[in-house]
Amino acid sequence: MAGYVVRRVLGMVLLLFLLTLTVFVLFSLMPADPARLTCGKACSPAIIENNRHRLELDIPPIEQYQRFVAGIFVGRTYLKDTARPLECEAPCLGYSFLRNQEVLAMITKAAPVTFWLAIGGFVTWMVIGLVFGVVAALKRGRWQDRTVMGIALVGYSLPSFFIGLVLFFFVVLIWHLLPIPQWTSGMPFANPGKFFQTMLLPWITIATLNAAFYMRLTRNQVLEVFGEDYVRTARAKGLPERIVVVKHALRAGLTPIVTAAGLDLAYLLGGAIITENIFNLPGLGSLAIGSVLASDLPLITGITLVAAALIIVANLVVDLLYAVVDPRVRVG
Amino acid sequence: MLRTDAWLRRALAIGVSFGLIVAACGGTETTPSPTAATTPGPDDTPAPTEEAKTGGTIYMLTQAEEFDDIDPQRAYTGEDLAFFGATIMRSLTSYIYTDDDAVANTLQPDLATDTGQANDEATEWSFTLRDGLTWEDGSELVCEDVKYGVSRTYANDIIVNGPTYAIQYIDIPDNPVTDEADPNSVFLKAYYGPYDGTGQELFDEAVSCDGKTITFKLNQPVADFNYTVTLGFSPVPDPAIHPDLEDTGEQYTLRPWSNGPYKIDEYTQGNGGHLTLIRNEAWDPASDPVRKAYPDKWQVDFGIDAKVMDQRIIASEGDDAFAIQYGSVQPENLSTVFADPETPNPDFATRATSDFDPFARYYWIDTNKISNVKHRQAMAVALDRDAIRANLGGDYAGALGDGVIKPNLGDQYAPTGMWTDLFGQAIPDTGDPEFAKQLIADSGEPMPALTWDYPQTAVRDQEAAIVVASLGLAGITVTANPIPPGQYYGIVFDDEAAHEFGWAGWGPDWPNASTVIPPLFTDKGGWNLSRVHDEDFVDAVQEAIAELDHDAQAEMWHELNTLAMERVYVIPTTFGLSQTFGGTKVQPLYQWAPYGSWPYAEMYVTP
Repeated sequence: MAGYVVRRVLGMVLLLFLLTLTVFVLFSLMPADPARLTCGKACSPAIIENNRHRLELDIPPIEQYQRFVAGIFVGRTYLKDTARPLECEAPCLGYSFLRNQEVLAMITKAAPVTFWLAIGGFVTWMVIGLVFGVVAALKRGRWQDRTVMGIALVGYSLPSFFIGLVLFFFVVLIWHLLPIPQWTSGMPFANPGKFFQTMLLPWITIATLNAAFYMRLTRNQVLEVFGEDYVRTARAKGLPERIVVVKHALRAGLTPIVTAAGLDLAYLLGGAIITENIFNLPGLGSLAIGSVLASDLPLITGITLVAAALIIVANLVVDLLYAVVDPRVRVG
Repeated sequence: MLRTDAWLRRALAIGVSFGLIVAACGGTETTPSPTAATTPGPDDTPAPTEEAKTGGTIYMLTQAEEFDDIDPQRAYTGEDLAFFGATIMRSLTSYIYTDDDAVANTLQPDLATDTGQANDEATEWSFTLRDGLTWEDGSELVCEDVKYGVSRTYANDIIVNGPTYAIQYIDIPDNPVTDEADPNSVFLKAYYGPYDGTGQELFDEAVSCDGKTITFKLNQPVADFNYTVTLGFSPVPDPAIHPDLEDTGEQYTLRPWSNGPYKIDEYTQGNGGHLTLIRNEAWDPASDPVRKAYPDKWQVDFGIDAKVMDQRIIASEGDDAFAIQYGSVQPENLSTVFADPETPNPDFATRATSDFDPFARYYWIDTNKISNVKHRQAMAVALDRDAIRANLGGDYAGALGDGVIKPNLGDQYAPTGMWTDLFGQAIPDTGDPEFAKQLIADSGEPMPALTWDYPQTAVRDQEAAIVVASLGLAGITVTANPIPPGQYYGIVFDDEAAHEFGWAGWGPDWPNASTVIPPLFTDKGGWNLSRVHDEDFVDAVQEAIAELDHDAQAEMWHELNTLAMERVYVIPTTFGLSQTFGGTKVQPLYQWAPYGSWPYAEMYVTP
């Protein structure tokens, strides 16, 4: 087991290395010139050249990458040739000259927003998905099953930008049931009431699509397990239906659900781009999209690294959990 | 089974991530972000109306995720200059607040006691500061602070993106270091700015303080230098005099010190971020005849979805009643807000406005790649400008352009006759493919195949189809080249990456065509997408810049505008209009001519 974990961690590091390298290579192949983009309106070839030097784009991409990696471990100095150098202490994920801030500081600020959005949405969809999935399985073929699956089909068919906008327009702007969502510093502990008012609709938006998926997944898994011999045996032994469902059927059916849930949560932690934009939440998704639109390489690279690390770690955790949930599975 | 499921989920996650990023890349449009203006007129500062109230908060909703720059030497976006100029960043001179465009473009003293004194050749300008000027810590704002602020422009290794008129006009020699291997070669002038300090004596010679009077020695006559000082000449606390008010260099743009009626309380960039301005208690109203400073607080909310923003202001509930839009009404809501392009619907009569924006839109043509003027004329003649305007929103989009100088520049504008007689006959708005074919035949050369570069949006995809089709009718083969908006100018300013012609827009820096013709058609100003290097044209531009007689200079700009259209350095498309609105409890709501902005300095909330 320990050897497996070590091998996976080493694999993670290698994957992160390749990923960031790929981002650097792709960015250097882009036709846009960041030196021109940050040149402003009064631009001249001399200013562009100056910007290229300032942004350290006048050195080979591989050396840029080396400086990036070195910055993570030992820190980095920007504007070295000037009378006002900028120190970025380790772990330095870069400095955004478009926003005049260190990348790590921006990510650190955005991460809690995304964390709470993801956790709230995750809990919401898992509860709804598991409960209604089991209900549909127990009532297979009856009106409860058809109703749940009908709702799941509708939820699954609606894109999150549509759900988000509809909720925003009706609940906030027309019916005035909630105030305009506004994330403020110190949330959630500084102002829990305002926090729930702000996050309720984003959670519902995220949960709708995912809950529909998990309803169907849970129903199918539980039904599959219901057909197994050991479940028939459990029932034949006279075990209460609650025990049969929770202890035997649901647990056995959980493995693919855990796999999917772990990765979905990790993906969300990397930033829920659409939901964050609709509800004006300053999370990682918004930061990512802003950096892509502005061709802000340091920020793109930093966010890619963090999001990828989350997904890779989640993969590892899911694989380990898999063994815990299903004793038949052995890692190695 | 484990490996299969995990792989599938992983692939799905990566695929969805990639899809979202790719989808997002095509989402926005970029427009150059300069300033604007029109004609000077008499002094006519309006008195506060009876309903004007002190107090409250005005909210600004914007789709942007941050301000481009708040540093006085780096701010260059018209709307930003208007907002920060009205709140925290005073300049030596500024413009009058009124909805009369001609009057609004009149210069008035701000930090200075008058609009500047020039010598007979306009090569030396002096401004004397008012009494009672302060920084937000209560210390006195002195002449040396203005000088220090200007000096920062020369630190072009750190202070970037901003207007460079100081570098262009102040009499300091070019940087003698030209060897690219030398790091000092990055500096544009022999003075390297206050951080490095090299060449300080040259700057001290060119810019000097005598008590409250600052004098600028210029390297050429600049008749409108008192307009120039509205851009990039605002003061920054001189560290030698104000050790507690630090100049943080590159990061000063995040927290500049205020000398206006407000100061920065909080600035968080990004989606969901805010900028909050609160009262600067050290500001003395007696020292400031320009700013009314009615609200107690300003709050800018960043990253608001454009559709959500429109709906919030239409509903105008709660705090949104005190909100103004930092952008334009979305096309799908125009009919809700406006009865026609000039008239708001009754519900919006006092809170919506439609007026010329600062920009003239045009297609640049690379004159190196299309060197035959008959070919360029054929392109202009064949273009269906009427369809282009209709695609942009018809009458709401503005009027068809006939040059790069817009009518709201007052006496700087005169019709060029481009579409009536400049090419020997009238050109219909829908284009004249037969005449275009004739021009190609007269050129003596086959028309080359063309590629049209444009920053991709859904609307411009349709515009591209119009360009391809209408020029195709004249036998001109055009390929449309969509470019992600964030990368557009980075590509089209690259001589090799840019194609034969493409989309662009431009607005002047102050109400003189000296901030239109030179930057667009010479290498001074950095927007010469047409790569014009015709010596006779460049020489004529230099003569016009040096002309001290305003009327004579205006006439020279008219002629140069006409000549540029005759040679078709660009194809003008529209003189843009913009529609914008605010909540029910904020006034006055009109577009202030100098920057095409809200009149921030006189805005207030109503009960």
